[in-house]
Amino acid sequence: MLKIIIPTIMLFPVIWYSNSTLIWINMTSYSLMINLMTLPLLNQAGNNSNNFSLTFFSDSLSSPLLMLTVWLLPLMIMASQHHLMKESLTRKKLYLSMLISLQMFLIMTFSATELILFYILFEATLIPTLIIITRWGNQTERLNAGLYFLFYTLIGSLPLLVALIYVQISLGSLNYLVMNIWFQDMSSSWSSNLLWLACIMAFMVKMPLYGLHLWLPKAHVEAPIAGSMVLAAVLLKLGGYGMLRLTIILNPTTKIMAYPFIMLCLWGMIMTSSICLRQTDLKSLIAYSSVSHMALVIVAILMQTPWSFMGATALMIAHGLTSSMLFCLANSNYERIHSRTMLLARGLQAFLPLMATWWLLASLTNLALPPFINLIGELFVIMASFSWSNVTITMTGLNMLITALYSLYMLTMTQRGKFTYHIHNIKPSYTRENTLMSMHMLPLIMLTLNPKIIMGLTY
Amino acid sequence: MNLYTSFMLITLIILSLPLATNILYVHKNKAYASYVKLSIAYAFITSIIPTTLFIFSGQEMIISNWHWMIMQTLKLTLSFKLDYFSILFVPVALFVTWSIMEFSMWYMHADPNINQFFKYLLMFLITMLILVTANNLFQLFIGWEGVGIMSFLLIGWWYGRTDANTAALQAILYNRIGDIGFILTMAWFLMYSNTWEFQQLFMLDNNLDMLPLVGLLVAATGKSAQFGLHPWLPSAMEGPTPVSALLHSSTMVVAGIFLLIRFHPLMENNNNIQTLMLCLGAITTLFTAICALTQNDIKKIVAFSTSSQLGLMMVTMGINQPYLAFLHICNHAFFKAMLFMCSGSIIHSLNDEQDIRKMGGLFKAMPFTSSSLIIGSLALTGMPFLTGFYSKDLIIESTSTSNTNAWALLITLIATSLTAVYSTRIIFYVLLGQPRFISMPIINENNPLLINPIKRLVIGSIFAGFFLSFNILPMNTPQMTMPTYLKLMAMAVTLLGFVLAMELNIMTNNLKLKIPSSTFKFSNMLGFFPTTMHRPIPLLNLYMGQNTASSLLDLTWLEKTMPKIMSKTQMTLSTTISNQKGLIKLYFMSFIASALMMFLLIS
Repeated sequence: MLKIIIPTIMLFPVIWYSNSTLIWINMTSYSLMINLMTLPLLNQAGNNSNNFSLTFFSDSLSSPLLMLTVWLLPLMIMASQHHLMKESLTRKKLYLSMLISLQMFLIMTFSATELILFYILFEATLIPTLIIITRWGNQTERLNAGLYFLFYTLIGSLPLLVALIYVQISLGSLNYLVMNIWFQDMSSSWSSNLLWLACIMAFMVKMPLYGLHLWLPKAHVEAPIAGSMVLAAVLLKLGGYGMLRLTIILNPTTKIMAYPFIMLCLWGMIMTSSICLRQTDLKSLIAYSSVSHMALVIVAILMQTPWSFMGATALMIAHGLTSSMLFCLANSNYERIHSRTMLLARGLQAFLPLMATWWLLASLTNLALPPFINLIGELFVIMASFSWSNVTITMTGLNMLITALYSLYMLTMTQRGKFTYHIHNIKPSYTRENTLMSMHMLPLIMLTLNPKIIMGLTY
Repeated sequence: MNLYTSFMLITLIILSLPLATNILYVHKNKAYASYVKLSIAYAFITSIIPTTLFIFSGQEMIISNWHWMIMQTLKLTLSFKLDYFSILFVPVALFVTWSIMEFSMWYMHADPNINQFFKYLLMFLITMLILVTANNLFQLFIGWEGVGIMSFLLIGWWYGRTDANTAALQAILYNRIGDIGFILTMAWFLMYSNTWEFQQLFMLDNNLDMLPLVGLLVAATGKSAQFGLHPWLPSAMEGPTPVSALLHSSTMVVAGIFLLIRFHPLMENNNNIQTLMLCLGAITTLFTAICALTQNDIKKIVAFSTSSQLGLMMVTMGINQPYLAFLHICNHAFFKAMLFMCSGSIIHSLNDEQDIRKMGGLFKAMPFTSSSLIIGSLALTGMPFLTGFYSKDLIIESTSTSNTNAWALLITLIATSLTAVYSTRIIFYVLLGQPRFISMPIINENNPLLINPIKRLVIGSIFAGFFLSFNILPMNTPQMTMPTYLKLMAMAVTLLGFVLAMELNIMTNNLKLKIPSSTFKFSNMLGFFPTTMHRPIPLLNLYMGQNTASSLLDLTWLEKTMPKIMSKTQMTLSTTISNQKGLIKLYFMSFIASALMMFLLIS
């Protein structure tokens, strides 16, 4: 693990000692090289996890997420070039340092073996994210968004700390590897219900659960592009990852406690999708679509069947790449139109045909076109929920319908139709942007060819 | 028998070559369009070989070659099923598409993105072939969704037009409603049969629940535009004419019926689902035939006639005759593609005029197109010994001799007669009488790119039905004997339709213009279906999205009850409890006072 973490830390000197012309290229190529280090992790032989030390390990659940995290850093760097063009050199370096520190924390979060260490790092990721949102956001509302982001997450996660200390005392260890063997069934009492809530709520807020999701659209809309990307792609998945890890010790309370949450998710999925149909703000639309996709993941995790776990893991990875790509596309529109309003960016297909292709592909993956991994994720979740209760198909089916509608509505709105006259003199798309989009799309296609590496623990 | 697999794979490879070479620019010295057309023609030729072998030997086969993944107990592989249906359908689809491609080289020659257009058409065809040859539900779903998305792209081809975009979105909406049924079926099969492979599904249990079968029916209703989910089909006429031709003949719309044909082994013992299919099909075929009667847009009439034929295929499924329905799919592809091409030719020659009231007398100006149009219409109505006859007549015969719902039969017969009526109407208004178009357009139908494909399909429309029914093996016992009046029934109602329509059309020329009756309005306004369904329901949903989901729940309740109320209480509490009131003067005063006091005390 150190061979990933230490190079990541060494990115700091690389930025601060690079001169102004080489800063982007150095960072991008170096962080791409770190990617190579994570590739061997995908080779998970047998059922055993790769235990690097007592502190760090990776198994078939964490390595795809780890891979996603590391893959996203160069993409974030590429995406924010235009956004940082007018900033001074020191500020650029500071911004990049924030991204790198976030990256470092995330890598350690996904590979920690101890729950307390996981908790500390989980909280630590808030700091750089908060700074990125509140310092580099575009509007004054970013301060409010930062507040929401911080307080929702903190209020959700403080009970987790208490719960973890309690579990540490009662079980004697918080090591995942040991927990599998040591856990005892929870007693059916009020206190264990509370313990369950304390353990799960932190992640529910992070995912976010419908009802606790208010911070997400705000944070997404106000954050700079790199912030939105990492939020949608990785930070939300921290919640899913934590839930997948913790549900092991929460049996059998989950069976009873899951009902209200599954209901809430199924309901919220429809609600957030219908909100998407009425959005005028491009970034807000993508943010709400994240909420509705993540609701599926929560449903899957709470249902606790092998199929649903597979679906949840696959959907997390697929959604990470897709939503990040959508944010990049929204950003490339924003850089040209200078507004997030969709109505102002009509008919772009006539001007930027290649970009329109990327838009099309991104929308298609977002609506889960077979055989993309998005579909595999969604399909498995729907299958699992169908076998849990046949009635859920009405909700999940309806959601599928609305997802397709708003994805294509977004596509039609921005790419089709008559162009407006104020976009006559827009810049052509840069190679940088096209590379960025293809680097989102390529992993999606390649994972589609071999989805089993992102199927998680139960594959 | 190795020729089977190898030639079928060669067909698929040849078809997908243009997609690959497009990136490599190997076709530099040749137009991409003709390259695509050629590859489809070659694919057609190679696909004939397995078909001939099949006709000769009657052997079916499965190609199973690539393990995608194995999850728990479910194995997903890439596998192709070369059975009766797929092996006969592939050459038909390729033959028709070949002609359509050649036609679009003429029709779309001025389009700046013609290469892209051909790529889309080709992908449309490929996804359809994936659907047809799929041997498991997942692979079928890939084709199923692929067809849907490609239709979205092609219907919305002229993306500057709002109508085209709306029509494209509408197609996706209705198809997705059908997809819910498909997903339901997939989930059900996974749960109870634990497999998605067709053989295993059919082998396991033939007396299923209604649920998966209803799911399949919903899926087919969406894709094949059966009543309830039909409005997207006429709207899809916003796309370019070659797209309509392809969409309506051999791809997309027949996919739904094809799905039901595929799953026929599960349905043949289930009377309830058959009754459902029968009634749904009968309603569709009548309703859309009625809608076709008063349309003025030539493409819309042809579109509604497709819809009506799809209803007829559904009726055939309802009387448990999948092989007959399949034969009708194949026959229908020929003359329907040709009808669209003829109308495309007319529309193009008349400067994009689609209204049949502004045509007339084209028999003199465009003899070739006119005769093809007449042949196509006659084939559509089931004129003896043209292509349509071989399936349509059989369908009517087996419906009337089967032990079935008399209402459904009656409705089907009326629809059959109406087919003749609207066909006559097209012929009468477009071809006969005096010209009613402005004399400016230069009418020219002598381009070989236009004539050759239509010629091929004319031959197809005349002989294909004979060849197909002559060569394929009889799969079910045909009805050998029946009373003469039943035997002549189909013909009689069709003739009745012809005569009636001719009389009425001639009569209308001599009548005064009257305020349209309500029956006319019903037909012309498509049964008020779009008016009643397309306005209120989406409006309700969008209102719900805006008012309930966004304004009420998100921006008011969730915002007020959690973050806002918390900050409010904290603020109020802290101001009430705290001693610190911000009275700076007083604080300093007390500080000075105490300092003075201390000073005084010390001194």
